[in-house]
Amino acid sequence: MENNGEVETEDEIEDNSTTREIVAPGEVLTTDLEAYKRGRGTILNKDGTKIMSVLVGLKQIRNNYVNVIPLQGFYTARTGDKVIAIVVDKNPVKYRCDINAKYQAILRPQNAIKHRKKRRRRDKLDTEKFDIGDVLIAKIISADRLNSPELTLVGKYLGRKRDGICLTIDPPKVPRIIGRNGSMIKLLKSETNCNIFVTQNGRIWLKGDRFEYERLAIEAVYKIEREAHTRGLTDRIGEFLKQEKEKRGIN
Amino acid sequence: MTLLIQDKYPEKLFREDGKRLDGRDKDDLRNIKMEVGVIKNADGSAYIEWGNNKIFASVYGPREVHPHHLAKPDKGILRVFYRMTTYSVFDRKRPAPGRREKEISMIIADCLEPVLFLELYPGTSFEIFIEVVDADGGTRCASTTVAALALADAGVPMRSLVTSCAVGKIDGQLVTDLSGIEDKAGEADLPVAMTWFNDELSLLQFDGKVNKDEFNEFLEMAEEALGQVYQIQLDALKRKYQQIRDNVQEEGGDPEE
Repeated sequence: MENNGEVETEDEIEDNSTTREIVAPGEVLTTDLEAYKRGRGTILNKDGTKIMSVLVGLKQIRNNYVNVIPLQGFYTARTGDKVIAIVVDKNPVKYRCDINAKYQAILRPQNAIKHRKKRRRRDKLDTEKFDIGDVLIAKIISADRLNSPELTLVGKYLGRKRDGICLTIDPPKVPRIIGRNGSMIKLLKSETNCNIFVTQNGRIWLKGDRFEYERLAIEAVYKIEREAHTRGLTDRIGEFLKQEKEKRGIN
Repeated sequence: MTLLIQDKYPEKLFREDGKRLDGRDKDDLRNIKMEVGVIKNADGSAYIEWGNNKIFASVYGPREVHPHHLAKPDKGILRVFYRMTTYSVFDRKRPAPGRREKEISMIIADCLEPVLFLELYPGTSFEIFIEVVDADGGTRCASTTVAALALADAGVPMRSLVTSCAVGKIDGQLVTDLSGIEDKAGEADLPVAMTWFNDELSLLQFDGKVNKDEFNEFLEMAEEALGQVYQIQLDALKRKYQQIRDNVQEEGGDPEE
């Protein structure tokens, strides 16, 4: 099955530089500041003598940097991310979309039509194309801390989804759904015959040719989310899918 | 003859064997049990049983502020809603938020604000809903403790957790962690909250009469008690993930190095 232009993410929990140590906010990661530098998810104390965690996560030491890989968190919109957006409001000049982030995203009609050499007359610049509740796969074209992010539907694999199922999981666990070099998503797709699209904001769209397979895929996704901080997950999910398929009599 | 049950204060707050009414020594804490991730629809949640106190906290955010005029353009806001259920105390508690609840909501918000990076989330709000199901003295300390836990569970970046505990004076003796009856009948009461980022105090409220030496002793006692509560907090936070890992290991999936 082809990869639908999904983002390549790094699976950091299977990586050997990530320790098995769970840390909480305010816990001291190291006091040896000559050997280590502070990476993401960490902070220096006032005297500059300790590196502390700011998140609940797993401690990672990579290239002299001490990082914390979050186990729980929220999505922050970034330019270039593909997201699944749900239209929640519209007015004559723009749609407002829920992208599972702290601000609602804006979609303007000029970003919702395919550009051709000559614009056809029926490509009107109004907000008649989508209704409230529509599920869109979109790309973020601008995002910063002050203004609402803006979306576009111009691009490959982008557009409205009329069918399928949309799930929401915790955004920090998205790299686990994709796996190292996409191993987990390939496994899910091949074992369940489902078409799956994972986006950065923690939403997953999936559609299979059979109802039973869709249900199995949903259960597998939630299992990955729950056990995201454990190792050897891809093998375990492969076994789980095989066992469940046998138990349910679907092949 | 109608029997009228009244909430009477006992004359002595120490038993004959020198222990307190509930059998604790002077520097003993009540039994504390904490759990995180108890409310499914919240972004983060926690539950605490501190003696007879039973408190839920749930965190939502960062999200857009309603009503919109409360939003600040340069930083996020933290809103705390401390509420007591009608059946949480001996007399029926009137459900409308009163003076006391507004005060406690405010002090918990002020107490937690220094550990959050609110300047990174302009125009948004973090909301903490604290529901006191059963109250027996020291709910403001227990609420602060559980609110910090719920924030951490939601994945909100924090400089450190916040831990809170009360110390006080009953029958002329200094004790740790006052229960409801000791709080009402005692002489002095000092709730203390601490952030572990630079070991700073985040809350210090005082009510009663003590001299200067006793006050210094109060702070030492509080520091020791807070250390114990902090360990329970950390355990609760990690247990959520450790349990799943242990279950997986039993199945033989996750190899231990």
